[in-house]
Amino acid sequence: MTYTRIILTIAGMIGAMACARAAPLDEPIQPVPLTLKQDPARAEIGRLLFQDARLSANGRVSCASCHDARKGGSDGRARSSGFNGGLTDVNAPTVLNAALNFRQFWNGRADTLEAQIDLVVQNPVEMGSAWADVVQKVQQDAKYKSAFGAAYKDGVTKANIQNAIATFERTLITPNARFDKFLRGDVNAISAAEKIGYAKFKQYGCVACHQGVNVGGNMFQKFGVMGDYFAKRGNPTQADLGRYLVTGLDSDRHVFKVPSLRNVALTAPYFHDASAKTLEDAVAIMFKYQIGRVASQEDRDAIVSFLNTLTGEVEATP
Amino acid sequence: MSTSNRLTWLSMVTATTALVAVLVFLYAKTQRYEESDYFENVASLRHLKQLDAQWELDVLKSRIGINAHYDRLAGSLTDLSALLERFESETGQQRHDDSARLAVAGATLRNAIEGKAVLIERFKSNNSVLRNSLAFLPTAAEDVQQLLRRAEEAAPRAAVSRRVSTTVNDLLLACMLYSQSASDERGAEIQRALALLASDQAMLSQEVQDRLEIFRAHAGAIVREQPAVNTLLGDIAAMPTATRIDEVNGAVIAEQQRASAQNQRYREYLLAFSAVLIGLLMYAAIRVVRSHAVINRVNQELQGANENLERRVQERTRELRQAQSELVTTARQAGMAEVATNVLHNVGNVLNSVNVSAGLIASHLRASKIQGLTRAVQLMNEHADDVGTFLATDPKGKMLPGYLGQLAQVLVTEQQGVIEELLALTKSVDHIKEVIATQQAHAGASSQVEPAQVCDLMEDALRMNASALQRRGVVVQREFACVPELPLDKARLLQILLNLISNAGQATDGAPDREPRLMLRVGLVEERSLRIDVIDNGVGIAPENLTRVFAHGFTTKKDGHGFGLHSAAIAAQEMGGTLTAHSDGPGTGARFTLELPVKTTEDMP
Repeated sequence: MTYTRIILTIAGMIGAMACARAAPLDEPIQPVPLTLKQDPARAEIGRLLFQDARLSANGRVSCASCHDARKGGSDGRARSSGFNGGLTDVNAPTVLNAALNFRQFWNGRADTLEAQIDLVVQNPVEMGSAWADVVQKVQQDAKYKSAFGAAYKDGVTKANIQNAIATFERTLITPNARFDKFLRGDVNAISAAEKIGYAKFKQYGCVACHQGVNVGGNMFQKFGVMGDYFAKRGNPTQADLGRYLVTGLDSDRHVFKVPSLRNVALTAPYFHDASAKTLEDAVAIMFKYQIGRVASQEDRDAIVSFLNTLTGEVEATP
Repeated sequence: MSTSNRLTWLSMVTATTALVAVLVFLYAKTQRYEESDYFENVASLRHLKQLDAQWELDVLKSRIGINAHYDRLAGSLTDLSALLERFESETGQQRHDDSARLAVAGATLRNAIEGKAVLIERFKSNNSVLRNSLAFLPTAAEDVQQLLRRAEEAAPRAAVSRRVSTTVNDLLLACMLYSQSASDERGAEIQRALALLASDQAMLSQEVQDRLEIFRAHAGAIVREQPAVNTLLGDIAAMPTATRIDEVNGAVIAEQQRASAQNQRYREYLLAFSAVLIGLLMYAAIRVVRSHAVINRVNQELQGANENLERRVQERTRELRQAQSELVTTARQAGMAEVATNVLHNVGNVLNSVNVSAGLIASHLRASKIQGLTRAVQLMNEHADDVGTFLATDPKGKMLPGYLGQLAQVLVTEQQGVIEELLALTKSVDHIKEVIATQQAHAGASSQVEPAQVCDLMEDALRMNASALQRRGVVVQREFACVPELPLDKARLLQILLNLISNAGQATDGAPDREPRLMLRVGLVEERSLRIDVIDNGVGIAPENLTRVFAHGFTTKKDGHGFGLHSAAIAAQEMGGTLTAHSDGPGTGARFTLELPVKTTEDMP
């Protein structure tokens, strides 16, 4: 009896060591890298610019106004208010792990973070600025001017401002979520219930779209593949057309970027129209319109508990 | 610089510029397209092709479920775009002859990649739905079957249930087969089965209906998504990205071949150009060597000529020196002659007086009454024995005492005349001594400054010239201011005055039409300088000669030697004063002015 226990303990230790050393499991979901290695000087400029309201036309809103790292990289509102109090068309997506998304915005109209910043600064509802003014305002600030001079060959320019903010945003990744620790081999990082939740997540096919490092954020999908979500919800808006607004193709009607589920517990409300106030609501809507299946309350709760393990650590504090 | 020289320079500069321009042009032509650029481009394109193939492979892996997620598909696109962008920016920076063709090929490739990306995005969406439905369909079928079995147990002889069960099974099988090979027939078959189920559905319980609805939805999804996925896969495979990459590659290679051919050609040109340059250099070298020889020869000749010239210069210098010393000797001799002349001249003047005095004494002595005395003594000697008688009786003896008395009176008178003349003679001899002393002073004897009365000196000078002036009948006027005794170099001053007065007297010879007149003026100017004017009304001086009169050797007199005024001026200078001449022109007389600084007797040391 005693021998058996010792042998088992040794075997367990060896196993744990093996697991700790092993590459991440070949799972559809991959852990967030610990860092994306950015130029610290540029990231620091970006951090300041991110909180700087001078980027907006009247100096009322900054990037951080709608993308607060303490609120999961979003603002917790259904729709955000811009520099003049106007409401945005869609719910603000989180800035956390945005660097890991293959495109930016709900409809993926920006290929890069730089392009996303470009569009937001000039957006007539969001910041309403002209780049010439932004560049001038930044240039007039001696602190920025010297920092840019040190970090960039050509000093303060539109492209460098965008690059600095994007560089900062690339530091806003959230590694070390409990689930990532599990993926890296720490089998005890998540509870048994959460493991069941992950199994259900895969079994029901959620993982068909929510996969990869960002648990989503690497493909487009039609909202309502297995049922007409918009007919059921009513009040169709322009923004509901999704990617159609970008490509003009009929096949892209109601197609959106599959959002990342990283830190999803922190980013309520959910969907582009913020129609789901809770994670449970969101999971239910997904089952109905995307999976096309009926899941028990138990299974859905398990999936929600799994989703809660995707909350990572934010290092930088914008 | 002469015009021809400038032209030579200009042409040389032009030629050099032209040669350099040709060199730069040829060099630039060989540098048009770097080999390293070419290899970099080819490497980039190979990498692109590899990524593209990997991308396509990942699509297939996702299709059959080996890839558990789409990160690699999204990542491939990012990598491809970045690589393509880098390639485009690099080729944009490189020098290409046919950059337009490369740009077009690059743009076509970009379009193809973007098209492929769109297809792959659609594939990802459709494939997820398809895979979910395919995975779930058996479960959905089983759910329906379970409910149907339960319903049959509750209510047997339900033909609808059995038919639905069969149809569900058939449909499941058909869908599975369809997923393997999506033929149109099987598609149609599935559609028919779906329609059958739809018509039968209404006769079943609500619970079964719901399950059947889900089953039908997923079967529908399969029949919808499967062909879409297949078509997309076909389109993706048909997307000519690889061809486009090859085209770009072809363009790059063609460019490289053309560039290397051109390089070769221009390298040859460069070689030929180098040969020309070497030829030119050789020519220039020969020219330089030849010029050097000429320069050497000319140099030697020049050196010889120079030496010759130097020798001649030395000779000339020696000759000149000799001539100069001769001249100096001559001048000295002339000076001495002048001194002698002056001495003789002045001494001659005084000798006149000496002559006159001597003549007078001689005539006095010749006409002396001393013989009367001799005869009286002789008479007395004849009557030596009876002198008394003779004196008393003889008629002749009676007259003798009276005669002797008269004779004594005459002899006294005679003696007085001789003494007077002897005094004049002595004075003249003194003058001669003085003249000689003056000449000695001029001859370099140290000046002796002693208090003197200018007017007395003036009178002396006049006296020394008296005979010449008397001969010419010159009327002398004196305007002597009251001048105190002044420290003067008497000898020098006297020399000057003698000279000026003698000249003035001679000047009157040239103007015989009027009474010769000489004016002498002595005065003090502002108590600082002594001014002496010697003014005559003689021939005067032409304006051009006013300064020349003081030059050594200048004279207007027949027997003159141009020394008098010159030495006078020098003497004036030596005393710290000036001697100037003034005349209104020929025939108007002249005025010589001597000005001397005054040092009163008190100033004397």
